Amino acid sequence: MATIDVRGLEREYKSGLKAVRGIDLAVAPGEVYGFLGPNGAGKTTTVRMLVTLLRPTGGSATVAGFDVSTEPAQVRKRIGVALQEAALDLLMTGRELMELQATLHGLAARSVRGRADDLIGRVGLSQAADRRVATYSGGMRRRLDLAMALVHEPEVLFLDEPTTGLDPTSRATLWDEVRRLRADGTTVFLTTQYLEEADQLADRVGIIADGLIVAEGTPAALKAEIGLPHLDVTFMECPDLGHARDLLLAFGKLRPAPDGVDVSVAVAAGAAEIAPVVRVLDEAGFTVAALELVEPSLDDVFAEKTGRHLEGAAQPAATPA
Amino acid sequence: MTRVVLALTRRSLRGSLRRPQFLAPLVIFPMLFLAVNVGGLTETTSLEGFPAVRGFLDFQLAGALTQSLLISGVTTGIASALEIEGGFFDRLVASPIPRVAIVLGRLVATGLLAGVQVLFFLGLGLLFGAEIVGGVPGVLVVLAIGVLAGIGFGAIGQAIALRARNASTVQGIFPLVLVVLFVSSAFFPRALLSAPADSIARFNPLSYLADGLRDPIISTVSLAPVLEGFAAAAGIAAVAMALSVLALRGRLREA
Amino acid sequence: MSRMQLAVVAALVRRALNEITRVPGAAIPGVLAPTIFVVGLTSVFGQVDRLAGFGEVDFRTFVVPVGFLQAAGFTGAATGVNLARDIERGWFDRLLLCPAPRLTVLTGVVASAGLRCLLPVAFLFAVALATGVPFPGVDGLLVALLLVMGLASTLACFAVTLALRFRTQQAAPLMQMGAFAGVLFTPAYAPEELLAGWLEAIATVNPVTHVLAGVRQGFVGEVTWGDTWPAGLALAGMAVAFGAFAARGLRRYSS
Repeated sequence: MATIDVRGLEREYKSGLKAVRGIDLAVAPGEVYGFLGPNGAGKTTTVRMLVTLLRPTGGSATVAGFDVSTEPAQVRKRIGVALQEAALDLLMTGRELMELQATLHGLAARSVRGRADDLIGRVGLSQAADRRVATYSGGMRRRLDLAMALVHEPEVLFLDEPTTGLDPTSRATLWDEVRRLRADGTTVFLTTQYLEEADQLADRVGIIADGLIVAEGTPAALKAEIGLPHLDVTFMECPDLGHARDLLLAFGKLRPAPDGVDVSVAVAAGAAEIAPVVRVLDEAGFTVAALELVEPSLDDVFAEKTGRHLEGAAQPAATPA
Repeated sequence: MTRVVLALTRRSLRGSLRRPQFLAPLVIFPMLFLAVNVGGLTETTSLEGFPAVRGFLDFQLAGALTQSLLISGVTTGIASALEIEGGFFDRLVASPIPRVAIVLGRLVATGLLAGVQVLFFLGLGLLFGAEIVGGVPGVLVVLAIGVLAGIGFGAIGQAIALRARNASTVQGIFPLVLVVLFVSSAFFPRALLSAPADSIARFNPLSYLADGLRDPIISTVSLAPVLEGFAAAAGIAAVAMALSVLALRGRLREA
Repeated sequence: MSRMQLAVVAALVRRALNEITRVPGAAIPGVLAPTIFVVGLTSVFGQVDRLAGFGEVDFRTFVVPVGFLQAAGFTGAATGVNLARDIERGWFDRLLLCPAPRLTVLTGVVASAGLRCLLPVAFLFAVALATGVPFPGVDGLLVALLLVMGLASTLACFAVTLALRFRTQQAAPLMQMGAFAGVLFTPAYAPEELLAGWLEAIATVNPVTHVLAGVRQGFVGEVTWGDTWPAGLALAGMAVAFGAFAARGLRRYSS
């Protein structure tokens, strides 16, 4: 049975705005599900319904086997939540917050002390545990928030845009922790507007736009739907482009070259084809100025499905040669 | 110069009108206070030493008006501070308009608003049975003193905003303002105050301001209190505007 | 209430008290305000007790209990403002995500108000005794403290209802003025027979009037059952009503 089971879930606000317009999804036990979409697509609304902070206006959802509308207390017992704002009480220390969180979940603060220390260490806050949160950086607050969400050993973890606006170090720590949770068998529901994040962490990705899921699958499958990686080649001086095209045709189908690129060729084997391509061109006397391996990205999937690009994803993922 | 001041005035006024949470306290706080005072202390006009008045409401109107003008000064300060926080102020300073125009623009708006406040509270008094004994000349006197005082309080708020540069500090002076008002003769005749308010009230310009605003309401216009009221309002306005200009200059030097 | 729920309430109360113990200075205005209110009121309106109707009681003694109620009002309103801030910052979501019944969370938030109001009350009481207000008797003091703590929690329910409805600290003036009006539209400044007719009418139906009489009895005379039970009943009625509003507000918050 799915750990998160959503059927026809809808949310209409009093203003008449329909933020979520009937979505279906199922997340298997131990799976990391990436929920990807631009700002305002309905990601946060969906998460708030799944964690019982907002009542659905249509459809149904169960989390860890309990209905979010009719058995919210049972759901709350089994989930950990780190919401976008990392809401913390600035006057308390990290350790005190961990203990408060334990109390709120019905555990005696004493009984979780060891686990709290362990979690604080895992997110790299051991040094800061007894300092007030007011002195923490944004990244430290997010990491503490994550540790708090885990203190009662939840079956399902919800992370709402956990790394938006974070520095690279904090982002790496959070990613590591999510990978570790997956290894431990925790089910993770992760929303993000970063393609790379979904690509790196998620077993499966659902793409939401305007309150509807427009694509779903493993990152690899979604990208495969869009097509093969390709190589963009640019030459030093004006060469015989016709000859170059003939040479490259041996590697795969030619594509229309984007601006500033001389030839673009689809390559099934990806990075493995770079060296042979360079060798062939070199032997024929061409001087390569730039060569880029362009992987199809989730953004391409998104653009394909919605005709729009994700925020901050206007540049395709590129591997400079 | 005039055109610039008028443009900035219009902008300030529009800003106030579009932010009801700024305008509401000007009216609601003094009205609530007025109601509580008048309702609870209505019999005090029979006390020995109370000046001859038709009723306690007539006496209290000037107090409510002074309070409203003071709150408006704080609001002006908050609006200026928000403008500084938001960066709009720097844009004004960077533009080729006279510095004084920046200060004056908002103050003229505060003065116009003060006129409306005077008329509102006089109207409110009439509605609930007070009488303006000084008649039309009395109303004009109250208007003149009120507008002058409103500009003065606005200038104080602005000077504080220019120094503090954040709205919460300006907001923080609000209780202090009410305390200063309290130890004046704004709400009760000076002859009937007890220690320590009685001695403080003698030196508190707000006493003379409130008495000047009150005289034309409770009697025919008499020279002494009205002149004292004008002097208090003009003094506050002059000192506060000087402070405001100095604060602006200090700010420009740092910038 | 189970042990786990009690632990949740205790943790939330402890957290609310952090604002007093961990932010030096932040609590001072709230602690001083009722005392300043009473001292100011006495030095301005002190002569009022010359009116027949006050009997032997002097004005200071008469308004100290009003100061106690003000402390409850300020604390109750502050509880609502703090909740609105917690909602704005997302902290309240964290509380709602805990599996304890939501009424437990509400109880924790509201119960803190009953404790916090004791600080300004204690300060005011010390100043009052030092300036010659007679000791109300152990029974009078106990009854007064219980009623004031109850009123603080009740007014906190009122303010919390507004916070849940508006979800922004901008609703603060509404909370403060509601509490202010509830406390002062009573025989706060003078005995009922001296009030203006309209205020007397309001005071008669305002349940806070009974609470005030219960708090005041020890200060102005003997503690009697006849003054105590109406105070308790009025407070219980208000607590049930505002508690129900707050609970409904909480239910609607997520829907």
